[in-house]
Amino acid sequence: MPESMSISVNGQSQVPPGFRFHPTEEELLQYYLRKKVSYEKIDLDVIRDVDLNKLEPWDIQEKCKIGTTPQNDWYFFSHKDKKYPTGTRTNRATAAGFWKATGRDKVIYSNGKRIGMRKTLVFYKGRAPHGQKSDWIMHEYRLDDNTTNDANIVSNVMGDAAQEEGWVVCRIFKKKNHLKTLDSPLTSSISGDGGRRSHHHHHLFDSCDEGALEQILQQMGRGGGSGGCKEEINNYDQSNNNNNNNYGGSSSLTTRYARPFDTINNNVDSRFLKLPSLESPKSTSMDHNNNNNNNDNDDSNENNGYHPIIPVEMVTENEGSFTCDNPNNMFHHHHLGGGGGGSSDGGGGLTNWVALDRLVASQLNGQTEASRQLSCFNDPTMGYGTGNHDLLFPSVRSTSSLTSSSASINPRAVISAGAGAYISPGAQDYTTTSEIDLWNFARSTSSLLSSSEPLCHVSNTSV
Amino acid sequence: MGDNNVNLPPGFRFYPTDEELVVHFLHRKAALLPCHPDVIPDLDLYPYDPWELDGRALAEGNQWYYYSRRTQSRVTENGYWKATGMEEPVMTSSTNKRVGIKKYFVFHLGESPSAIKTNWIMQEYCLSDYSASSSRSSKRKSDYSKWVICRVYERNGDDDDGTELSCLDEVFLSLDDLDEISLPN
Repeated sequence: MPESMSISVNGQSQVPPGFRFHPTEEELLQYYLRKKVSYEKIDLDVIRDVDLNKLEPWDIQEKCKIGTTPQNDWYFFSHKDKKYPTGTRTNRATAAGFWKATGRDKVIYSNGKRIGMRKTLVFYKGRAPHGQKSDWIMHEYRLDDNTTNDANIVSNVMGDAAQEEGWVVCRIFKKKNHLKTLDSPLTSSISGDGGRRSHHHHHLFDSCDEGALEQILQQMGRGGGSGGCKEEINNYDQSNNNNNNNYGGSSSLTTRYARPFDTINNNVDSRFLKLPSLESPKSTSMDHNNNNNNNDNDDSNENNGYHPIIPVEMVTENEGSFTCDNPNNMFHHHHLGGGGGGSSDGGGGLTNWVALDRLVASQLNGQTEASRQLSCFNDPTMGYGTGNHDLLFPSVRSTSSLTSSSASINPRAVISAGAGAYISPGAQDYTTTSEIDLWNFARSTSSLLSSSEPLCHVSNTSV
Repeated sequence: MGDNNVNLPPGFRFYPTDEELVVHFLHRKAALLPCHPDVIPDLDLYPYDPWELDGRALAEGNQWYYYSRRTQSRVTENGYWKATGMEEPVMTSSTNKRVGIKKYFVFHLGESPSAIKTNWIMQEYCLSDYSASSSRSSKRKSDYSKWVICRVYERNGDDDDGTELSCLDEVFLSLDDLDEISLPN
């Protein structure tokens, strides 16, 4: 059946059997997008133009088909326009939903040189803020402005504004449900999608920590340039970008806290700072220092700036009380950055700590569920560095279902308490950051997430 | 690569589906039909260790493809391929007909009782008996079904090609959920 095996690319050319369009990120940026922005002809019209506002993900899937064989991802060019004439945000709403940015942008390198950025977006059905998250993921690649226009060194402000306009190249795909592959990694490779990429199932687990590690390292490397924040439009970022290299220079903090990220980014949620104040006298100075700088960013779509900086020690003291059954376990660093900087009620912090007190009490009374949840972390055989990540990952994964359903305590308490996560490794000396710090992060991620279940449990039973 | 020079724009790679491997490459090879493009080399039964395949087999990413023959034991210079016992049928997408079988092997270093399991995986594609016997005489059947295609890869760290979400991205997605949950009074 030769005719059914031949692939026509948008009706123009043919690709021999067995070959697929599977570009690297570098190829997408350096070849395709660069040609696109400079109006050069691209040999095979494999990447089409798509108006993101007009097509739903499932329509893109249809429009961007290459040939007749099954695809796992689809590629297109999109032209970004400003949402408002005076604003800087991109409008990515469709008739059925909208694309929302998540996480942090990833720097794309080519031969060690930075060439562009990748933004990750999730498609939500419905309208914000009540959208329903779907499995559709988009990676949006943009070229660095200063590389497309070498002669013209743009300022950060200009650059940020410019990145919200112009051509980008995108890839959409449906997020796979990795939960079902947890049972047996070997089986997962067999049940893979035609074997084409089945090995990735393994690698997700194998490299779980490595991937995080890599991103953290990148983030740290970028920390000097962006204040540890997501590279998004953010007034705060911009002001910091201009003079961000004076680590420790501007601080009224004690040296203990005068770590790079502390001094760069003072955009701390004030409510967050209330958390330690119940128990920690140290927070007073923090509070004072940061209240002045507490500027709320209401751009929930774009602002995933990391509330920095709770000193590791501080959080440890407080949180160790309710998370550590075993003093030897290492997951007391509940640092996890993230979350948007949405508005907040002033009493939240206090309420949270009442709730946490309850949790502590319940922990002391021996919540079986909690201890079961935590048992894997107390297990001395549970080595994070030994490659047995199958145990680790379920606890991470468990949050997606868990958190979307029923955490009835304001999760910000947990999240904020962990806000130093990405910071804490970076807060150490860059050059000497040991893997231990990063592993701590991995632990903290999972422990943070798993600890939300006890939270739910407590509030459900005792309220 | 093989004889045919495949001249494609950047981004096109040899990522065949199971069906393509069996129907296009294996079937045509076994039926002595020309393969276009003839990219998969025939390594016969040479006992190459998996790390020796580079430069000999068709390499794409971290995977290597080559033709070989059916055999009972795949012993190499430094070890052997051990069958995992796992098999998977290869079906045609259009007619859902079974055309081949995919078997899994794991490379072990050393000799049998004391051998060490490695991360090297081999998928061996062979034509199913059904398709072999469907239109062939019994005489040719043995010849017809002796060919296999091997796909070898090493299971280790992820080459993040962006087609999956990173672990961290998954966490961020979860945090997006957390963000929208409100505090009870």
